[in-house]
Amino acid sequence: MRGVPGHLGLAPGYLIALLAAITGLAFVVSLLVGPSGIGIDATGEARALIFNEIRLPRALLGALVGGTLGLAGAALQGYLRNPLAEPSLVGVSGGAALGAVLAIQLGLSHLWALALPVGGLAGAAVAMFAVVALAGARGGPVTLILAGLAVSSIATALISLALNLSQNPFASVEMVFWMMGSLADRSLPQLWISAPLMLLGCGLLLTLARALDALTLGEDAATSLGIDLRRTRFAVIAGTALSVGAATAVTGIIGFVGLIVPHMLRRLAQHRPGLLLPASLFGGASMLLTADVALRLVQPWVELRIGVLTALIGAPFFVWLVLKTRAEMAL
Amino acid sequence: MRSASIRRLAVGAAMAAFGQACCALADEPAPAPIRVVSLDLCTDQLLVELAPRDRIAAVTHLAADPAVSAIPEKARGIPITHGNAEDVLRYDPDLVLAGPFGVTSTVDLLRRLGRRVVVVALPQDLDGVRASVRAVAGAVAEAAKGEALIAELDQRLSLVAPPASPRPTALIYQVGGSVSGPGSLADAILTAAGLRNMSAAYRLSRGGQVPLESLIAKPPDLLVLASQEDDYRTALADNLRHPIIRRLRARGASVELPWRFWLCGTPHIADAIERLARVPIKARGQ
Repeated sequence: MRGVPGHLGLAPGYLIALLAAITGLAFVVSLLVGPSGIGIDATGEARALIFNEIRLPRALLGALVGGTLGLAGAALQGYLRNPLAEPSLVGVSGGAALGAVLAIQLGLSHLWALALPVGGLAGAAVAMFAVVALAGARGGPVTLILAGLAVSSIATALISLALNLSQNPFASVEMVFWMMGSLADRSLPQLWISAPLMLLGCGLLLTLARALDALTLGEDAATSLGIDLRRTRFAVIAGTALSVGAATAVTGIIGFVGLIVPHMLRRLAQHRPGLLLPASLFGGASMLLTADVALRLVQPWVELRIGVLTALIGAPFFVWLVLKTRAEMAL
Repeated sequence: MRSASIRRLAVGAAMAAFGQACCALADEPAPAPIRVVSLDLCTDQLLVELAPRDRIAAVTHLAADPAVSAIPEKARGIPITHGNAEDVLRYDPDLVLAGPFGVTSTVDLLRRLGRRVVVVALPQDLDGVRASVRAVAGAVAEAAKGEALIAELDQRLSLVAPPASPRPTALIYQVGGSVSGPGSLADAILTAAGLRNMSAAYRLSRGGQVPLESLIAKPPDLLVLASQEDDYRTALADNLRHPIIRRLRARGASVELPWRFWLCGTPHIADAIERLARVPIKARGQ
């Protein structure tokens, strides 16, 4: 695919600036939309509360979680050199949800607020290790998907078990919460505990640009270019676990963002995995913010879950990717 | 086990909220049963109130759970059934009481095995409560005691202060943002306490969820917080811990209404109604 004159001639700086501008716009629109119909022209205490305590954390979380998922998807695809890699498909999100569920069920999140995102990132890290060990960094797309399926099935089974054994009368509803994520009614305290870890993880993933560019030439060539493969591997696993773990612990699993965004932007990023990282960060943020605005505009009274929306868009896209991958493998 | 039964109960309550019409099955007169087993938290409570202890063979473990049962002390010490047919038969019951939801296969099986099963509806209003008291009282041949309970309930209801005009609005806000809509027992409790269920103002009918944002934009005169946030470890209770709820409670009237008061339609809903009616409310001037 490399060397195909497919890019649209947009300089890297302009591409990132454009995507950042779209993110900023989506962020502002997200602040202006909500089921109460209150806009910037409103006054009074209710308006301040709605903006500060409800819409602000929602928009900030939307941007951070979307950015995290887009970036993690781009990093996984670049590192594994596999177009089907994505946090939820390879089981990292499932592992994160399991970690968060355990943190809640064991009562740890009651004792220590950070236990929730830390549980999420621990679960994500375990899942990430398991997938890499099962599929191998050089495994083909099919092996990776199978490994991801195995890991997410285990995570789902254990989440069901934890909720089933708990004294929780809402176990089945809570299952939906974790499987189909949502940004609704999150609070600023929840943002404060998760944002630092997400930012740390994203920062770690963004340092991978040069390594991922070099890896397109193969591992030996990358090593000869001075890339430390063990450090790269650590940064991918730690960065994904931190960012996706903390994101999932607060919103539940939001699937397919990390799959769609890098694919949509790959051509604009000139097929350079390094450039695709920041592009997918902003692309993911603007996509999730836009989706969140859309579902509040379309059905302001029956709140559609954002995880349902991304799955509705993402699953057919995944089917298309599978067909495309199959066609390429047949060649 | 506990969670399965509570869930069954929660599902039952939800179904009732969705307006499943059902009626208690009246029973032909029979000799007073002496080994009664109950498979449902709501029939547990009615049974314990109506039948003497030595005629009760077993109830569910929920009957003694203070989080959901109005009579945990009275139920303590009664043998516990796990609710499946094999376990029920261990007690060789001459009467089995069940709720309308969740255990239908058990009920069918027990009936096929020749056991007498009475299914008691989940009440959706105060008349429904009276009907289920009569249904259980009739089944255990304690009709007089049933009428006495109903008379006591009516007596307590008659002492509730008459509603202000206009009625203050109230919203029963639960874990996950769900609210109780019209046609539910919770709605009837609000009405009996002189309040007006505000769930309709959010364009909701028969349950559903209210986003926090709508709650802030259009707060009810009385915010009723159902179920205590720390009872269960669940991510869904985050909405009850949201800073917005604290602000709302600081600004206007609010009250906690634990499940044990209103989950089941027993005469103890008078506790819930009296508790709601006692809250001083000043209108928010909507």
